[in-house]
Amino acid sequence: MDQNVENHGRLEKLEGIGCSRKRREDPRFIQGKGNYVDDIKLPGMLFAVMVRSPYAHAKIKSIDTSKAKAYPGVHAVLTADDLKPLKLHWMPTLAGDVQAVLADGYVSFQNQEVAFVVADDRYVAADAAELVEVDYEELPAVVDPFKALLPDAPVIRPDLDGKSVGAHGARKHHNHIFNWQIGDKDKTDRAFTDAEVTVKQDMHYPRVHPCPLETCGSLASYDAIRGDLTVWITSQAPHVVRTVVGLLSSIPESKIRIISPDIGGGFGNKVGVYPGYVCSIVASIVLGRPVKWIESRSENLTTTAFARDYWMTGELAADRNGKIKALRVNVTADHGAFDACADPTKWPAGMFHVCTGSYDIPNAHVSVDGVYTNKFPGGVAYRCSFRVTEAVYLVERMIDVLAQKLNIDKAEIRKRNFIKYEQFPYLTPLGLEFDSGNYLPALEKVLEAVDYTALRAEQAQKRADPNCPTLMGIGITTFTEIVGAGPSKSCDILGIGMFDSCEIRVHPDGSAIARMGTISQGQGHQTTYAQIIASESGIAASQIAVEEGDTSTAPYGLGTYGSRSTPVAGAAVARASRKIREKARKIAAHLLEVAPDDLEFDLDQFKVKGDPSKAKTMKEIAWAAYNNVPEGMEMGLEAVDYYDPPNFTFPFGAYLCVVDVNKKTGETKVRRFYALDDCGTRINPMIIEGQIHGGLTEGFAVAMGQELPYDEQGNVLGGTLMDYFLPTSVETPHWETDFTVTPSPHHPIGAKGVAESPHVGSIPCFSSAMVDAFAHLGTTHFNMPYNSYRVWQHAQSLGL
Amino acid sequence: MKVELDKSLALPVSATAGWSLVENIEGMAACMPGAKITERVDATHYKGTITVKLGPATVSFKGELEVVAIDPIARTIHVIGKGSDTGGGSGASLDLNAVVKETGPDACELSGVSVVNVTGKVAAFGARLMGTVTDQLLKIFFDNVLAKAEELKTNTVPAGSTGSTGSTDAPAAPKPAAQAVETKFNGLAFAWAILKDFIAGLFGRSKAG
Repeated sequence: MDQNVENHGRLEKLEGIGCSRKRREDPRFIQGKGNYVDDIKLPGMLFAVMVRSPYAHAKIKSIDTSKAKAYPGVHAVLTADDLKPLKLHWMPTLAGDVQAVLADGYVSFQNQEVAFVVADDRYVAADAAELVEVDYEELPAVVDPFKALLPDAPVIRPDLDGKSVGAHGARKHHNHIFNWQIGDKDKTDRAFTDAEVTVKQDMHYPRVHPCPLETCGSLASYDAIRGDLTVWITSQAPHVVRTVVGLLSSIPESKIRIISPDIGGGFGNKVGVYPGYVCSIVASIVLGRPVKWIESRSENLTTTAFARDYWMTGELAADRNGKIKALRVNVTADHGAFDACADPTKWPAGMFHVCTGSYDIPNAHVSVDGVYTNKFPGGVAYRCSFRVTEAVYLVERMIDVLAQKLNIDKAEIRKRNFIKYEQFPYLTPLGLEFDSGNYLPALEKVLEAVDYTALRAEQAQKRADPNCPTLMGIGITTFTEIVGAGPSKSCDILGIGMFDSCEIRVHPDGSAIARMGTISQGQGHQTTYAQIIASESGIAASQIAVEEGDTSTAPYGLGTYGSRSTPVAGAAVARASRKIREKARKIAAHLLEVAPDDLEFDLDQFKVKGDPSKAKTMKEIAWAAYNNVPEGMEMGLEAVDYYDPPNFTFPFGAYLCVVDVNKKTGETKVRRFYALDDCGTRINPMIIEGQIHGGLTEGFAVAMGQELPYDEQGNVLGGTLMDYFLPTSVETPHWETDFTVTPSPHHPIGAKGVAESPHVGSIPCFSSAMVDAFAHLGTTHFNMPYNSYRVWQHAQSLGL
Repeated sequence: MKVELDKSLALPVSATAGWSLVENIEGMAACMPGAKITERVDATHYKGTITVKLGPATVSFKGELEVVAIDPIARTIHVIGKGSDTGGGSGASLDLNAVVKETGPDACELSGVSVVNVTGKVAAFGARLMGTVTDQLLKIFFDNVLAKAEELKTNTVPAGSTGSTGSTDAPAAPKPAAQAVETKFNGLAFAWAILKDFIAGLFGRSKAG
């Protein structure tokens, strides 16, 4: 028993995988001691402000910067003409298109960057920006992707005139970007022809914005003597930024240092490279002084990277029992004025082809058309993997529509179509191999926890009562996400495979530092990576420092987005830790004078099999690594691992939501939300809980209020927090969470990633509940966001 | 955002007198609160400014007006204009068709159909105020035009003693036009008028005026 107590004590001290270790990041954040880009102040630093277009579409007849330049305190005013000699007035996007850094003769979205004013401080720069006189000739704007494809639609991108082939194949119209198809069209069409039942539903996933608390910004400092460029930047992918800056500037990457300090939330908004970053770098090189550029809230909401804006038509073919035979999807994707979507190079619609979901669907075909409109560019994965939220939304909505048509309960129809546990690994008709899943027990656990039968009975009772003031809706989703981009055979960004990396150095005293190619924006990497190292190498998590975000010290990595940190970098951490452990085994064997195979690893030490009194702790081994290693072995104890995942990981979940809708006002109360997630091996349950709360809250935000609407003239109408819904604790419902554990078979520790599942899974669940509230009146779908006005309008349209 | 306005105003003067008000571009502009013509470029082109208060923000536009068509016989005028705010963050354009119709010997009706397009910050921040603000501006504008017409009427009565409206009962102190035409914008009164209309709207009453 004493031995057990001692082991338990060692285990607790280790703080490895599975323990709810408190977040190492929080003490500095909750005390206001974080260090964000805007906190960094350098001697001689200047501040820059963008001059932006009030028009969504206009020719620029002239720009007069003379008054602004003459304004006291102004150091420079850059326009496209100033960037032209450097060939920096346009830049490549992650999607194979180009984007104007500063408007080159025309503007194609409201608030587009036109000039960059650099001054002593932000206030002077803002005043001087108003003195830049731009003579515009307004042109008709088009904000509807379907109207953009009409024959006589305004030409949004004159620079592409005559180009019938884009980065992703043929363009069929001057505002068309690409058509991307996947799946067997003929087989799918045949399945529809032969089907006993078919359903079809149009739906719009509105344009939204991740709206992180910290807006985007950069601080560039060029040392003309050394020729070194250092940029502090709000980037989720600092190494990729370094490569892009190197390509744009012709400065060797060895002379460029990109530092992502603390980041106040990213959610996809901070993956791309934005004109402000480029301009601050150019201005610093030109002026020889550090130049800072920080977005305002409205600039953030209206210029840097929207998400979604997918117009989707889904169709399902099935038999009378609700067994699905085929899925057919057509999407018109509004990409805005430049195609700046952050997707793996080969997949212009990201991983939308996960849209067959958790269901055994034998045939499927997807066609996506990307379209230019006079709206700001982006198309990022807002707390999801590339276009996965859209895909999951589509299939979850469609299966509800089918259930309604066949009058089958929506839990039951899911059970009839689930991929069975024994079918994994499961190859989908769209070419993905799902690694593992166990969907039926997850759903049954949720249904039992909420007493689904009683909820349906209550709903039936309320529907039967004409005096009931509320409509009760029950939503269900059983989603599968795809994360961990990704295998280099199918995923790259700018030609660089989407691996990730970890470097661990163990110091003589047994403490260690791990350096990563990822960058936390709130995920808690400092906490969880250390837990993996602790379990895998026996060094207590409290003795491990985790460093990220500085390209001069960290190994090359593709960054943090798409829930890839745990599936990809987490695997690199585990494998680097195992390399440490194996070297430590040899050193321990040398110290104990036994063969390495005679040793077994036990939490934080190696002990001789059969003689536990003979053991060496990792602390002792670390010391020996610097003075007493076996002959022929290098001194030191360190390891590097670059992990190229063999496959994606596929977290899943079963969610249930109950809403009460006021018939007369449209006001909706989320009475209950039960979220069961399966993210494989759970590294830190407390952080998982926090991630799920955050993801559900952002899902609630999208479903119930977030939208960036445009008027016909191309004015963006959601560009302030007066209009853009950011839920606080006042609006946010109570979340109930639960879990099952189905490890990933190919991940070194079986972990799948969790941060985005609750966002991906909850949004269709809210829609499912809202539609369910009106389902008995014939509603099969109505579009988000479900603010009271829109719900009231829907209720009115039904004569309520 | 686009605001379409279709308004008419009865004037107590003959159509000819009413038309004389309309064809005087500078005079008309002066009736719009916060607006003034700063330069007459030629017979049909003008430059001007207008300052509008939208909630907490005050926006000053400067721009150009062009009289595209004017027909004194039919008493119609077509004016287009465009401008941008002095800070460069917003743009606006106007397309106005106005007509003066005779409704009696000493009565006419001024009708105007205009489309105002606003872009940029004003549209983004002020969209929900635009309708009310425009209503208020027009209300003041019409009051001012009416005051001018009254002044015209009063001034013309002594010359034509056979005025059919009974000039002996004319108001004791005709309102001086200069006082009625608010060239300086009274922000507080304006804000109050908007608030009053907003509250009235909440209770479903038709808007005052």
